[in-house]
Amino acid sequence: MANSQPVVTLYDTPMWESLSRERMQLQSCNHCGTLRYPPGPICSACTSLDYRWTDLSGGGEILSWVRFHRAYFDDHPPPYNAIAVRVDEGPIVVSSLIGPEPEGEWIGRRVRLAYRRHLDRTQHAFMLSEQP
Amino acid sequence: MTGSLSGVASVIGIGQSDWVGDHQRVRAGERPHDSYGYGAQAFLSALTDSGIARDEIDGLIVGPTTAYERVGELLGLNVRWGGQADAMTAVMEACMAIHAGLASVVALVYGNDQRSAQVNYGGPDAQGGGAFLAYVYHAPWGFTSQGALYAMMARRYMHERGLTEAELGEVAVAQRLAASRNPRALMRKPIAIEDYLASPFICEPLHLFDYCLINDGGVALIIAEAGKARRVGRAPVAIKGVGRYDLNRGATSLEPRLLDYYLPAQQAVAAQVFEMASLGPKDMDALQIYDSFSLHIPLALEGYGYCPIGGAGRFMRETGISLAKGLPVNTSGGHLSESYMQGWNHQIEAVRQVRGEAGDHQVEGCRHVHYSSDVAGKAISIIYGA
Repeated sequence: MANSQPVVTLYDTPMWESLSRERMQLQSCNHCGTLRYPPGPICSACTSLDYRWTDLSGGGEILSWVRFHRAYFDDHPPPYNAIAVRVDEGPIVVSSLIGPEPEGEWIGRRVRLAYRRHLDRTQHAFMLSEQP
Repeated sequence: MTGSLSGVASVIGIGQSDWVGDHQRVRAGERPHDSYGYGAQAFLSALTDSGIARDEIDGLIVGPTTAYERVGELLGLNVRWGGQADAMTAVMEACMAIHAGLASVVALVYGNDQRSAQVNYGGPDAQGGGAFLAYVYHAPWGFTSQGALYAMMARRYMHERGLTEAELGEVAVAQRLAASRNPRALMRKPIAIEDYLASPFICEPLHLFDYCLINDGGVALIIAEAGKARRVGRAPVAIKGVGRYDLNRGATSLEPRLLDYYLPAQQAVAAQVFEMASLGPKDMDALQIYDSFSLHIPLALEGYGYCPIGGAGRFMRETGISLAKGLPVNTSGGHLSESYMQGWNHQIEAVRQVRGEAGDHQVEGCRHVHYSSDVAGKAISIIYGA
């Protein structure tokens, strides 16, 4: 085995730099406002090439989750979770839920963006939001 | 129907390597063959089954695990037309080439040494990332393996559609029953729902028994223009319809999986394939569904109209999907219990069923078999018939 590695294309680099500053940014389409995840060269909603990097507000909702019971990477000893989060700006992001886990149903729970040092990188994670 | 691929081509030969014998040898630490060797054995067995001579073949499609030219070189095949494709695309492309007059007899050859070569489908060197970014993009969060992608999909699907763990377990139980009657299957010991529920989680909510096997082997088919097939074929099985629809938008962020469960793709393919074949779900005597994971089965049952949307759990539990009860699905044991030949074993099983040569796992009076796959949101269907 070995450690996990991010896929870093030309378009991913600024996102990873924003994560290292603990201010996650994604490309926002200058024409239709759609956010791109993963980052890429064109807006797949309207085909515009123009964009700017914008901060995420940090809010989101858990769409689904899993728990790994077998080891695939040295840096992820099982058991550990992974979640699919619909961030409030639209994209679905696969990440980790850190901190307390929900009692009962996870799907539909509100979460907030957090940052976690992992190996030599800072990556996104999410924590449960306070219940209203 | 003008321009239709219905009835254009027929399968005149099927073959495979010795999955069971080679699996025992691999488990004992041997490497019996490589991907090319398995493919060669399957090709010879299909050629013998067809009864035609090697020099009648004028088209060649190889599976994604071997190089096109090298397979052609090894098998001594100079051809008019050829390429490389997965199982379902290969069958479709053979029909297209024959319909276009570019070839009249196409050999499809697949070999894979994934077990003995220790191919990984998850982790730092996960296979398939070059073709599907979702297979590798989420690795920093430990989210890897195609099983995890289906586990993520399964969790939400179970939440939204009410499928229970025990209902999903019907897939593994039914396919193991089929495998128990199939001497070519690797895993033949019957299991019950209790065994399924007690089996360990790999990526929760999926259990060990929801996952496909990993084994070495080869499969081959010989597909001929329909007229020629009737003249030379021992028992030609017609390709009555094909259909395809690909969901690519949002694929890496898992949108087509988590929001739609690939349903729009399957519905589009259902309309195409059933119309082309002039048949409907009620005409199908058996289904072969690409089953890298058990979840494919409820998705296909709903997507192709075998049960209402949200009704797959009840259908599997009450109507049944086994050789013993209901609509038989993956009658050889499929990827979960027969052999993980990446959709290729489903094609030859469909042919065996229509020929009536499936032995103890034969579906009585089987006339039409529907094959379906939804790998990574690329939905494809093929209908085989007498």
